[in-house]
Amino acid sequence: MFVPENLKELLEFLDSHQSGVHLIANGTDLINRMQRREIIPKLLVDLSGLNEFKYVKSKEGVIRVGALTTISELAANQLMTPKYSVFKEVASKFGGPSIINMATVGGNICAASSSEDLIPVLLVLNAQVQVRSITGERTIPIEEFLSGKRTTQLRPNEILVETRFPDLEVTSTCSFEKVGMRNSLITAFVNCAVYLHMDGSAKVIDDVRIAFNRTSGKIPQRARETETALKGKTLNEQTMTEATRALRGELKLTSDFRVSEEYRTEVACAVLKRTLLSCAHKLLGEEIVV
Amino acid sequence: MNGKEHALVVQSHERLLDVLRDRLGLKGTKEGCSTGDCGICAVLMDGKLVNSCLVFAIQARNKKIVTIEGVGTAENPHPIQRAFMKWNASQCGYCIPAMILASKELLDRNPNPTTEEIKRATSGIICRCTGYVKIFEAIKTAAAEMKEAD
Repeated sequence: MFVPENLKELLEFLDSHQSGVHLIANGTDLINRMQRREIIPKLLVDLSGLNEFKYVKSKEGVIRVGALTTISELAANQLMTPKYSVFKEVASKFGGPSIINMATVGGNICAASSSEDLIPVLLVLNAQVQVRSITGERTIPIEEFLSGKRTTQLRPNEILVETRFPDLEVTSTCSFEKVGMRNSLITAFVNCAVYLHMDGSAKVIDDVRIAFNRTSGKIPQRARETETALKGKTLNEQTMTEATRALRGELKLTSDFRVSEEYRTEVACAVLKRTLLSCAHKLLGEEIVV
Repeated sequence: MNGKEHALVVQSHERLLDVLRDRLGLKGTKEGCSTGDCGICAVLMDGKLVNSCLVFAIQARNKKIVTIEGVGTAENPHPIQRAFMKWNASQCGYCIPAMILASKELLDRNPNPTTEEIKRATSGIICRCTGYVKIFEAIKTAAAEMKEAD
């Protein structure tokens, strides 16, 4: 295991060792995969000591989160005011305290699987990731960064250093819901994040973004047809019916050892409704029943 | 480590759990699933609950670790340990070191936890004797006693 003292040492090392190297942040995903022999690294590079990448900052309307910030640190950060209650929702469903105290924001993104509870939220927040190598840096929308199950755009000589997203306006909010076998320590059958923008009390959906842990692939993705079905509509029973019809049309789920395709689709429709109404509740301050 | 410094040369593959049990002889920390699902191996690292099976020993360098051996002694148990005994909250006992450390982490930052907060704080630790009710009662009793002692 290589233990870099600082970023410069890390980037130089990565530049000269480009194969068989695995980066380890706090290990909650990687050590598990090593136990299962899914990954047999020749060399591990320990990022856990790079405290300079533990931060949450707000500057010029952009929230920036350092890659090594843990899920519990993110949820508890003072910048995560009530409009960001979505991160508390994620933390409470992500895992028990001993997991969220270790799992990092950057690690969750780079793990790039449909079990990652944070990714759908970052997708609906239009987050971008910043990656850095010895030759420079790139900023990539998270949607592009995730290129497939367990694969990302990260090159062998790069590390993810930061995630950033535009600060939410007062007329918009986000919610996260998750359904699994039990409440804690579990991989979701379905999870869902919704960004909702509603100006005024007329319950008209000005803008909406929706993401699930799976839509048509095995990584978290947006549900754009469902978003289109909702945009500009009044939030009522008919709109909700149209949205779930659109969702059924665009979901291409599969059965696995957890649940069947049919069950997953039914749960996705129910969870979409629940997450959307949770957003509306936060914005309007009243319980919405449709 | 429980207030004492240790200088060790560790192998890349050694987990914090292995070092605790096999190198330092601290057998109070138990191994359960080894995959971060059961929480039985939890210890406090810089005051936060972590699963010692998911931490490489090298990653615990320069950190303050508290294991169950650092909480109380047989002669002088911690109020949480006394409360667990009072409620007979331990059945097979395997999860209890982790339960006590999770309770300690909770009560150190929140002396007045609600039942929901107690459930959340211990939610990462699985007791397969399924004796959670007495564990929750014990934590409430410990909270009251620790407040009184203040």
